Amino acid sequence: MARNRYDIDETLNKEFNMTSVKRLGHYIKPYSHNIVLALLLRITASAASMLTPIFLMKIMDIYIPMGEEGIPHIIKISIITLFLMLYVSLVICIKTKLMMKSGQGIIRDLRRDIFEHLQELPFDYYDSRPHGKIQVRVVNYINNLSDLLSNGIVNILVDLVSIAVILVYMFSIDIRFTLITLLGMPILFTVVIIVKKKQREAWQKASSKQSNLNAYIAESINGIRVTQSFVREKENAKIFNRMSDNYRTSWLNAIKFNLILPPTVDMISIITTSIIFVLGVSWIRGGSEFMTVGIITAFTGYISRFWTPITNLGNFYNSLLTALSYLELIFETIDEPVVVKDKEGAVTLPPIEGNIVFDNVSFSYEDNIPILKNISFKVKKGDSYAIVGPTGAGKTTIINLISRFYNLDKGHIFIDGYDIENVTIKSLRKQMGVMLQDSFIFAGTIMDNIRYGNKEATDEEIINAAKIVQAHDFIIKMENGYNTVVNERGSRLSIGQRQLISFARALLANPRILILDEATSSIDTETEIALQKGLLELLKGRTSFIIAHRLSTIKNSTCIMYIDDGEIAEQGSHNELIARRGKYYKLYKSQYQFLEQS
Amino acid sequence: MAPLKWFYSFLQKYNKSIVKGLFLTTIVSLLAIVTPYISGNIVDVVIEDKKYNLLAPMIIVIITATLLRGLCRAAFLMTFETASQNVIFDMREFVYKKFQKEDFSFYNRNRTGDLMSRQTGDMDAIRKFVAQTLYFSYENILLFLLALIMIFTVSVKLALCMFLILPFTALTTLIQFKHVKSKFSNIRKHFALLNTFVQENISGNRVVKAFAKEDYEMEKFTIENEGYMEAELGAARMWSIFIPIFEFLSNALIIVLMLAGGIMAIRGEISLGNMFTVNGYLWMLNNPLKQAGWIINDLQHMITSVERVYNTVNEEPEIKNPKKPVRKEHFSGMIEFKNVSYHAEDADIISDINFKVKPGQSVGIIGATGSGKSTIMNLLCRFYDVAEGEVLVDGINVKNLDLYELRDSIGMAMQDVFLFSDTIEGNIAYSRPDCSFDDVVRVAKIANAHNFILDTPDGYDTIIGERGMGLSGGQKQRISLARALLKEPSIIILDDTTSAVDMETESLIQDELGRLKNSTVFIIAHRISSIKDADLILVLDEGKIIEQGTHDELLAQNGYYATVFSHQYGEFEKIKKGGVF
Repeated sequence: MARNRYDIDETLNKEFNMTSVKRLGHYIKPYSHNIVLALLLRITASAASMLTPIFLMKIMDIYIPMGEEGIPHIIKISIITLFLMLYVSLVICIKTKLMMKSGQGIIRDLRRDIFEHLQELPFDYYDSRPHGKIQVRVVNYINNLSDLLSNGIVNILVDLVSIAVILVYMFSIDIRFTLITLLGMPILFTVVIIVKKKQREAWQKASSKQSNLNAYIAESINGIRVTQSFVREKENAKIFNRMSDNYRTSWLNAIKFNLILPPTVDMISIITTSIIFVLGVSWIRGGSEFMTVGIITAFTGYISRFWTPITNLGNFYNSLLTALSYLELIFETIDEPVVVKDKEGAVTLPPIEGNIVFDNVSFSYEDNIPILKNISFKVKKGDSYAIVGPTGAGKTTIINLISRFYNLDKGHIFIDGYDIENVTIKSLRKQMGVMLQDSFIFAGTIMDNIRYGNKEATDEEIINAAKIVQAHDFIIKMENGYNTVVNERGSRLSIGQRQLISFARALLANPRILILDEATSSIDTETEIALQKGLLELLKGRTSFIIAHRLSTIKNSTCIMYIDDGEIAEQGSHNELIARRGKYYKLYKSQYQFLEQS
Repeated sequence: MAPLKWFYSFLQKYNKSIVKGLFLTTIVSLLAIVTPYISGNIVDVVIEDKKYNLLAPMIIVIITATLLRGLCRAAFLMTFETASQNVIFDMREFVYKKFQKEDFSFYNRNRTGDLMSRQTGDMDAIRKFVAQTLYFSYENILLFLLALIMIFTVSVKLALCMFLILPFTALTTLIQFKHVKSKFSNIRKHFALLNTFVQENISGNRVVKAFAKEDYEMEKFTIENEGYMEAELGAARMWSIFIPIFEFLSNALIIVLMLAGGIMAIRGEISLGNMFTVNGYLWMLNNPLKQAGWIINDLQHMITSVERVYNTVNEEPEIKNPKKPVRKEHFSGMIEFKNVSYHAEDADIISDINFKVKPGQSVGIIGATGSGKSTIMNLLCRFYDVAEGEVLVDGINVKNLDLYELRDSIGMAMQDVFLFSDTIEGNIAYSRPDCSFDDVVRVAKIANAHNFILDTPDGYDTIIGERGMGLSGGQKQRISLARALLKEPSIIILDDTTSAVDMETESLIQDELGRLKNSTVFIIAHRISSIKDADLILVLDEGKIIEQGTHDELLAQNGYYATVFSHQYGEFEKIKKGGVF
């Protein structure tokens, strides 16, 4: 997959269709009883409101002419109105709550689904686009739907009801005029269809510019140290302004389309009204018996009531189209195929012993660039396996395949005889303790960070793990010891300290297979020696993989594998490989090279 | 009030277009009265009075009025949309530049997701206010006043009766204004929490997968997701009480008309016609009242967001450029630390650091994890200020130097390699975006990165993932090294830059670096091989220099350095005797 960076637009290669609307329907469905209740309440409230003009007419036509005797009637009718209005207010209160509950509920559900799906997506997905662009879909895009969902749905249903009611009235007054009024509809639809395509494109562009901006903001904050040390502030501000301007321009371009519909409706409304006036007047002048002043007055009164909900529909349609451009991108993420997933009928991997077999494994990240070529090896339980070789040779890839972070192109990996493709990913990964190259620390206390490896661990177990990896000493020196709060990525800790903490985290998982990818590269030799002593005890009976550049770290491994260009160039124990005088020997010698020179 | 003043300073720039927009709004409001008035006349004058020749001009007037109104409406909406976009464009720029200037301690205090929400969610609340609430409230106030004047001209007494509603309205406004505030700041708070959680989950996705903690993350996410929903609903619960109150107050006007108007009409104080007229204006009076609750919501939402943004950018960074900096075109790279101490919670503590480096010399720093190696370098770049003592570059205290000139003279490859989701070329050329491609290739070769770069799918044009995801640790380090070298800086800092690079490659890089004679070089490393050729080696322990000298001097001292050496290379003699080499 082509990779994306902050300033490349993400385009949606899909034609507009109604599936997104239908899918939104599924999200609305659980709240339909709320929505229906709100709608019914709203209709009763509208009906109650419609009584007031009638009451007022009654006062003016009947009670006022009655003189003083009318006053008690007026008071009575005012009190009735008072209660009606209290009812209306009560309905509005309940309706608002119902609709907010539904709208926010839908938003929560959508957000839950996209987040849940993101947890399943493979490394690739995260590696191939700026993280700010993923985030914007989970947080900001979904929020853009809130107005539509909280107020739009009920209002639009009310409008549809009123259109139907008014049409009935209009037909009952005069069929000819009604048909003339309806002539405006095809014109309106034509305008809508012409505008729609461009409007959708414009909003998609705006959403994509928003996404770009968001990505750039995120990277600017995360990379601030680099920016400041390279004095790039001005250049960055220029780029930021360019992207901010792009967002502004694309927004203003898109909003233009939203401004087309309301005046169009107004114009159609006024023109049909005019036609009715002209026709009505000429029919009256022609002495038509079917036309009266009353009909014209009543009908023109209804026309504006007919077009008002249609204007509302137009506005709703605008916000729907805007929302859809976001919704389509949200659904795109939810539909993102999960490449690495449990096979149908995958079994739970029982507690393992740790025998691992690579059988002719080939793998590539991008097509045509093979990373691993026909790798085969066997590891017995309890063995420690070291992987060495030049950077980029595929060392990390090998261990990533054991945890099934990627699918193989060819070949199989067996653990205790189970092909890892046939077991559930969760049961597989739960039994591994992986320490990644990039030791990620979460914001939170140090205790919580270590506990991430095993939620059930007691404080004692955590402290014990920290002691084994030699992290205990520096932790207790911090102001709140294990309860010291570290920032995201542990920015106040040195890399070495972060490595020790993620090492402790991996140990706490009590794994049968321990994978250490450059676990100690930033740790000083003295600490490492102390660490290794503790580790030796702990590793008994467990299978371990170690990637390291400092050969002192791996010398005592059961087997050392030299990976070069995606193939196993040599393997054997340290002594065997030295005796062989091949690549490992050369590597080993290189660390003493400077001593020979002196 | 300071936050609002600050906000106004941004709004002020677009006063003209806002005034223009409000003027157009006025026209639209006035035109809104024209069509119903003329339509009424068509019935009364044209049909009833049979003045048929007036029909055509009247129709022309209503069509023109509608067209004009439509155009003016579109024009003022666009004016306010543009103004709002301009205002937040300026604000975003201000906030961005401020964020760029903030020091490390600011970033240690604030979380990424939280800072991001200032630039996104909060900006959106402000945008909405300028784009919609401004004209909407003006339109409503205008209609309200117009209607009030009309009713006054009809009957002062009736108008005064309607005035009775106003104190209740004012009271409700005040109470709502006061009460919704905490609800909106709660929404903004939970928005930031949600944003922060999602941001961390995405950047920590590898750890989540490695530990199969998806369910746990989902649990935590649910807390934030529900928390945000609850915050929204909490606010809704609050304003869903006020909105109906306003609705009721506006409807009470009808009751006033019925009761007071009716009785006054019976007593002959007003005519029936007067009552008709007042009834016609009533919608202009009660619609704005119905909207008042929403307007207060939007207003308070905006104020909350402005305060949040303001409070974030209002902190002055502790480390800033001196008022009258000593300007230097070029640094020779002479460095001296004099009795330097630093102690704060956000970095390792160091104390009594003393050393001197001549231009072109190289310094190796070795010591235990957390012994303060990186802190020393951060003090040199003035990412932190010393607590005691002085850091001198070319004999001048770094506090007196132009901050940007100082940092520009230093090329730093940090131990925590950060790469941007950009092309490899873009990443290397980060410090000199306008440099030639040849320069990029040249430094990539020095950093021994050229060959693997050519092996990537698009070579130098390959886009790498955020933080260099997809590259191996050693590859990331070499790109970061090339980036530091491209500046041709007077001072080079390599903080654990080759820890993930294999030994053979490292020695190639070392040879290349040895040729850089014009720069003072600092190398922080754990492998003796990385630093043993340095002119000066500092050995740190618990924030103090415990040994310093050259490789041979330190070996002779038989202290910490010598112990590390024997741990790393002690076998050498043994192996040599055994005849391995």
